[in-house]
Amino acid sequence: MVESLASIYLIGGIMDELRKGFHLQLDGVRTELVRLAASVIEAIPRATAVILNGDLEGADALIRFDDEIDSLSLELEERCYQILALQAPVAGDLRQVVSVVKMIAEIERSADLAVNICKAARRIYGHDLDPRLRGLIARMGEQAEQLWESALESFEENDAAKAAAIDDMDSYLDSLQREFVQAILECHSENSIDLQVAIQLAVVARFYERIGDHAVNIGDRVRYLVTGWLPEHKGAARFRQKSGEDDTDGIPFFPNKES
Amino acid sequence: MISAPVVADPVLMPDSEAGVRLLLDALPMGVVVLLPDGQERFRNTVAMSIAGARHADVLIEVAAERLLNVALRGFESREQIQLAGPPQRVLEVRAIPLADGGAIAIIDDVTDRWRIDQVRTDFVANVSHELKTPVGAISVLAETIEGESDDELVLRLTGRMVIEAQRMSRTIDELLELSRIELGGEMLLVDIDMADVAAEAIERVAPMAMRSGVPLNIDSKKGTSIVSGDFFQLVSAVKNLVENAVKYSDQTHQVDVRVLTTDTTVSVEVEDRGIGIPADSIDRIFERFYRVDRARNRATGGTGLGLSIVRHVATNHGGEVNVRSREGEGSTFILQIPRVLGPQ
Repeated sequence: MVESLASIYLIGGIMDELRKGFHLQLDGVRTELVRLAASVIEAIPRATAVILNGDLEGADALIRFDDEIDSLSLELEERCYQILALQAPVAGDLRQVVSVVKMIAEIERSADLAVNICKAARRIYGHDLDPRLRGLIARMGEQAEQLWESALESFEENDAAKAAAIDDMDSYLDSLQREFVQAILECHSENSIDLQVAIQLAVVARFYERIGDHAVNIGDRVRYLVTGWLPEHKGAARFRQKSGEDDTDGIPFFPNKES
Repeated sequence: MISAPVVADPVLMPDSEAGVRLLLDALPMGVVVLLPDGQERFRNTVAMSIAGARHADVLIEVAAERLLNVALRGFESREQIQLAGPPQRVLEVRAIPLADGGAIAIIDDVTDRWRIDQVRTDFVANVSHELKTPVGAISVLAETIEGESDDELVLRLTGRMVIEAQRMSRTIDELLELSRIELGGEMLLVDIDMADVAAEAIERVAPMAMRSGVPLNIDSKKGTSIVSGDFFQLVSAVKNLVENAVKYSDQTHQVDVRVLTTDTTVSVEVEDRGIGIPADSIDRIFERFYRVDRARNRATGGTGLGLSIVRHVATNHGGEVNVRSREGEGSTFILQIPRVLGPQ
């Protein structure tokens, strides 16, 4: 009796030790994710400066910097898989690891988009931009950065409410994008912008809008982490409800038009 | 009569741990101290929140950690981190090995130093550009005329020479005006109604506004906006602001000049709906010869000294000049001068 009790305590102690190491690993992954996100957030205003000032050197630096982000992302992903394979986490811990894997992709993709902005800046190099367009580019850049700053804070502080607010901030970025496209069209009708430049700029607006969307995704993931709320509940729930009505279970198919 | 030095509270004596912490917390720079095994021993308040934005904090933390690791191996190193902003920030991180095998990192905001450096190098380049370009142009034009017999061409070239000479003399005039205002010597301090100042300034700019088709609006009430100052300096400041507003406005976009008073101040606001100022230039437009346009386009005909003059006039009168602007949407300049509380 006494012996078995002692062994339970012993095993408990070892388990605690093991868990402690595991949680250190988990914390390490979280810290690395925050650092990765921080360097991508800094890339957003840099990309904006590149396009506004026609800074080709800055563009090269950011494009090179993206390789570093890519390699760090891969490394971090690898660490997550190791945790999954060796520690088999469950419940909240499992949500952490799975979410971090997903978030790495969002961060890495945003860095790519910042690079895309730099590449567009190279293509329109030497063209003067209308001050209205410049002002809107600056605003889109600031707003995209704000969204990411909020996303990072909500993750660090496990703040689901802050994470949920990112969606609303994103609608402002979307409206800026629409306003920008409108301004491009106006400049085009006034003949103050080349068609080529106009197209590049429209695409740049899209890049900012996408960067914002990735921040929204991070926010959704944080809500999932903290509360278990699934981001897919928005669209996926609609789909399930619909498919429940016509009683089709299994693989979705496209309804035949003629039927 | 010198009294004996008062012995401070024991906590302030640096030989106690708490005393050292207190001193380090008072420093205006971030300090992080590591034990020889890499464990963090101490971090002062500034180091906990130095960069403002969250992501910037993280970036500085990463740099400090990297340099501290180098210092733990016994090497001193430093690194400058530039944050894009706006506003742009520059921080210097330095890590030094300690005698006990630990390490200390010092994080210092060097933005001001970096900015002054930038202003100095730009100023030298800009002043020589502004002064040498017209002289160079005049001498080349003169050389061309020397060997030219075609009357029409000579006429055109002399026309250019006159323009360049005028530009040169305008720059010199403004430089002289600026240095006179800077010295602030011969200021005639009398009670002045800023409504009169605004009216006078607008009258001087009116012909130019008429030519470019920009409507000028004034909103002021005589009698309440009294300041103590030099009439000519104040007119020159407001004139500069209105002139800029007109210059950078499109036709049909009006320029509003408002004279506003509070209990203690009188301010003249000049608002345009023109091209606006890029965020990264806003801090710098009051510098001598600074231009937002890097190509130094001369189409607007400015000397690059106008806003510098405005700022000096404001300081001479114990006031200040501020600006709110969004690129593409317009700018509002606000000249604020302390109010004289005379008879109402």
